[in-house]
Amino acid sequence: MKGVIILMNQFKIVEIKQSIYKNNDVEAEKLRGKLKANNKFLLNLMSSPGSGKTTTLLRTIEQLKDSMRIGIMEADIDSDVDAKIIAGTGVKTIQLHTGGMCHLDAKMTSDGIDNLGIDDLDFIVLENVGNLVCPAEFDTGATKSAMILSVPEGDDKPLKYPLMFKVVDVLLINKIDTLEMFDFDMDAVCKRAKKLNPDIKIFPISARTGEGIESWTDWLKAQVLEVKTVSNPNRDCMGK
Amino acid sequence: MHEITLLVELIKAVETAATQNNINEIDTVVVQIGELSSIVPRYMMEYFPNAAEGTILENSKLKIEIIPASGLCHHCNKVFKIMKNKGLCPYCKTGDWELLSGMEFILKEIILRESLDPN
Repeated sequence: MKGVIILMNQFKIVEIKQSIYKNNDVEAEKLRGKLKANNKFLLNLMSSPGSGKTTTLLRTIEQLKDSMRIGIMEADIDSDVDAKIIAGTGVKTIQLHTGGMCHLDAKMTSDGIDNLGIDDLDFIVLENVGNLVCPAEFDTGATKSAMILSVPEGDDKPLKYPLMFKVVDVLLINKIDTLEMFDFDMDAVCKRAKKLNPDIKIFPISARTGEGIESWTDWLKAQVLEVKTVSNPNRDCMGK
Repeated sequence: MHEITLLVELIKAVETAATQNNINEIDTVVVQIGELSSIVPRYMMEYFPNAAEGTILENSKLKIEIIPASGLCHHCNKVFKIMKNKGLCPYCKTGDWELLSGMEFILKEIILRESLDPN
């Protein structure tokens, strides 16, 4: 960070022009690079509390655990409620305690990855702290990110929390089995989300009944396959 | 939000810059905060003295410049101010734009008071 020096009257100004967010962004790129080089897919899963992250994960694991090696990092301020539930499926799970922090950053995620040990895994999910505000601001270094919005929360959330909808690759609309009980305009939500994020992929699901889960897990399978077939200079190359 | 964490990161960055540029006494540190960054400038100013205590910025001032949020419209290719126009391009009235500025938190410059004594 060598500054440019400008002299003005009795003041000397040292120009720096450096982003303070740089540290987390650099950590995030490092982690992303490491994951890519090792052909691993890390998903950052976010939502507000109670939208069904853990239940959705249970369904996802059920569908995918025979075709890939899965690892889960649960992040909460306290308790190991979620980790215990997920560990019940038999997949490798760790619980991260943020100790009051409202989100995870790249360093915490990277430390979590080291603790989990991913050499024997293909697909890792970081279940982020339940919060629609802060996690959107911090790049965790994940390959892709997804958020869950559940029907009872309402269709105005893209208007109230635009950044979260803007930064994610996927929107899962959960609890569609309750559509009849709530005034939830599915078209309006999709329009609002696509306005903020034209490339967002939307999967309406019910983690409880299993409806719509297959489209979501098909997308995940494709993502995991993509990181596995990305050119790797350490792999044998046929015919080239 | 997260102003205290950001102040800690800011002070670390200033300390690094100070070492690399042989700086000992700082009059003012100038930061730029993007309009959409969710950082509350008032909280930064309020917490700064406490965060700076015991550091190289103990007796320094903090100056904040706000960077307005600008967007580039994908439809008509014009640049516009996002907050003033409530997120819609004022030229073609569409919402299909990309963010050019407004999310920053930048350590812009460090102002030193030069000693008046030539020795």
